[in-house]
Amino acid sequence: MLKLFIFISKRSVQMLLLFVIFLTVLFFLLEAQPGDLSQQYIGNPDIPPEEKARLAARLGLDMPLFSRYLAYMKNFFTGNLGNSLSQYPTPVTKLIFDALPRTIVLFLSATLLAYYLGFVTGKVLAWRRGKMSEYLLTLGGVGLYTVFYPWFALLMIWTFGFTLSNVTGIRVFPINKFIDVSDWLGSPFTTNQVFLRMILVAVLSMLVAAVATVIAKQRLEIRQAIRVRNIAFLLGVVFPFIYFFFSAMGKYALDILHHTLLPVMTLALVAFAGIMLLTRSAMLETLREDYILTARAKGLPEKVIRDRHAARNALLPVVTSLVLALAFVIGGGIITETVFSWPGVGLLLYNAVILEDIPLAMGGLSVIAALALIGHLVADILYAYLDPRIRY
Amino acid sequence: MTMRHDTQTEGGEVRPGETLLEIKHLTMDYQTKEGRVSAVKDVSLTLQRGSSLGLVGESGCGKTSVALTLLRLQASNADIVEGEILLGGLNLLDLSEEEMRKHRWADISMVFQGAMNAWNPVYRIGDQIREALDLHWPEKLTTAQVRQRIAELFELVGLPEEAMDRYPHEFSGGMRQRATIAMALSCNPQLIIADEPTTALDVIVQDQILKELKKIQTELGMSIIYISHDIAVIAQVTEHTGVMYAGKIVEYGSTEQIFHRPRHPYAWLLLSSTPSITGPRRKLAPLEGEPPNLMVPPSGCRFHPRCPFATEQCSNEEPPETDIGDGHMVACWNYEQVPVGISEIAAEEG
Repeated sequence: MLKLFIFISKRSVQMLLLFVIFLTVLFFLLEAQPGDLSQQYIGNPDIPPEEKARLAARLGLDMPLFSRYLAYMKNFFTGNLGNSLSQYPTPVTKLIFDALPRTIVLFLSATLLAYYLGFVTGKVLAWRRGKMSEYLLTLGGVGLYTVFYPWFALLMIWTFGFTLSNVTGIRVFPINKFIDVSDWLGSPFTTNQVFLRMILVAVLSMLVAAVATVIAKQRLEIRQAIRVRNIAFLLGVVFPFIYFFFSAMGKYALDILHHTLLPVMTLALVAFAGIMLLTRSAMLETLREDYILTARAKGLPEKVIRDRHAARNALLPVVTSLVLALAFVIGGGIITETVFSWPGVGLLLYNAVILEDIPLAMGGLSVIAALALIGHLVADILYAYLDPRIRY
Repeated sequence: MTMRHDTQTEGGEVRPGETLLEIKHLTMDYQTKEGRVSAVKDVSLTLQRGSSLGLVGESGCGKTSVALTLLRLQASNADIVEGEILLGGLNLLDLSEEEMRKHRWADISMVFQGAMNAWNPVYRIGDQIREALDLHWPEKLTTAQVRQRIAELFELVGLPEEAMDRYPHEFSGGMRQRATIAMALSCNPQLIIADEPTTALDVIVQDQILKELKKIQTELGMSIIYISHDIAVIAQVTEHTGVMYAGKIVEYGSTEQIFHRPRHPYAWLLLSSTPSITGPRRKLAPLEGEPPNLMVPPSGCRFHPRCPFATEQCSNEEPPETDIGDGHMVACWNYEQVPVGISEIAAEEG
């Protein structure tokens, strides 16, 4: 336990160093690119030269490059990311922290969904090697995995947001955005108040379910523990609905949830295909291992061999892929949020880049980098926990 | 109360001399893309309760195929053409998969090759043994009882009790093999199949493990089938020996008979190609040629292309199994020509 703690601390320090290097590179890269909003602002030919110099000094642009770097780093680590130039004078931190929960929820729920479903389908697929169902699902998986993502997202909107609504006459899925503004007129709550409450309730009820499962696992027999787990997680899912049914926020929460479904589904579907294919090949690899023969010789039922012996080992490469999938968050985040007009960090970053809003772009990029690094750390810890051969 | 349930108490009395396992005319082919491979041909063996049998032969001679078939774990492309495997009179080949599962490990367990990853790397050794106990032990055991049982098993094979809480990768090769034996013993099987039990180990550990296996076998009254390409291993631990060549048993008898006076040319050449510490110093006689392609097995006697005594008859007719006295069986037309002692090629040069 202590060793694991030391490992996590060490890794965190490494991550922090990496983050500083990232910020440095980011600073100098953006410094090297020509033009930003301040240049346009100062470069106005109607402004007299002495006034230009005064403005530049006010923005700190007369300082030498290295001093500016030091000032930037100092400000960054004291939580001052400057003001957005395109939405002046809103501080960058406020813009980012408003958008951040929306991005995290979108990607976290899509990733969890994709990993869970992909893993379960992948292992069953490997077990059905050679059957028609395996062949068709693998083919479909390869198709989804290699699809051009922006096109696929548009196709999803067209199919489920547009056509499905036209055909049925009911708005099954909204086309884009985070909320329906018309429903929120005169609302006593801000979107973030409602959204944060949703996150809080969902996380808490899942946490309770997880704690109940852990306790049941220690105290009860396996069969009973599984039953407790299933009931706990069912209640964990149902409880937030009950809560919001009786809450004044209910109507607004439902609107947000309604808008969340399609982007989560789209993101999850693409990630799901990759995970399914990976699990399938990892399982096929594991099934050739000698300990599978041992498990068979022991007379274990096929399901136990599959789930306890094969799948548990096939999980390791799947967790590794989580690290690789994090790289997708940067690129995929911008694409998804732009296509769905989802007001998250990705869309914020996209607009900042278009408008040459340097402080906001730097803020957005550094937050995404921090998220990726945290994801890395989580994957590392998971790996150490799952594979006893790795102990630090 | 001791947790040790011996086979004696479970199946009533130990009846030495009573037949435990009978393999009758087992013939098995592997279905491959290139064609059918005749891997096991008309193998018949009998094993008494409490006795040990060795199967020796080159790689690919079908000994592991026979072993895996006893547990009905033969590869999915294996096709059992005919034969019976009777365990205490029950034909295992007739059982449904579900019924067979109950007999695995409870009645027949296996000690896998030391070189194999017989242990799942992500679970503790004790937990993996527990799996077998939870499945096959007649009563339901509590965690404390399971630990006590594993501790007993570990004492038997010479492992410290606390080793059960460790992971496979924390063990040395020898320790892993001891644990493998402990797991094989866990449910008091009537029969243990030891497939190359000491192959990847150094000779000192090999010797220790073989001695312990033999001791445990006599103590607990179990039957063991040893499978090895190493005739020294077979000579050290078994009472009876079957020599396999190209899917067939070419000679069978007491280990003493076979090692003292081999009658089949293959057995004779195999012994001549093995060094002996105690005998006179001599050059080794290598066994010429290669094992045959079993897709198109040689006509007549399968050994005739490599046999120094082969005649016209050998390439045309399959030799019958001949009893040459005291249960010593040999399948060869010219067994009388096989000389006493080692191959003369070696003797001349030595």
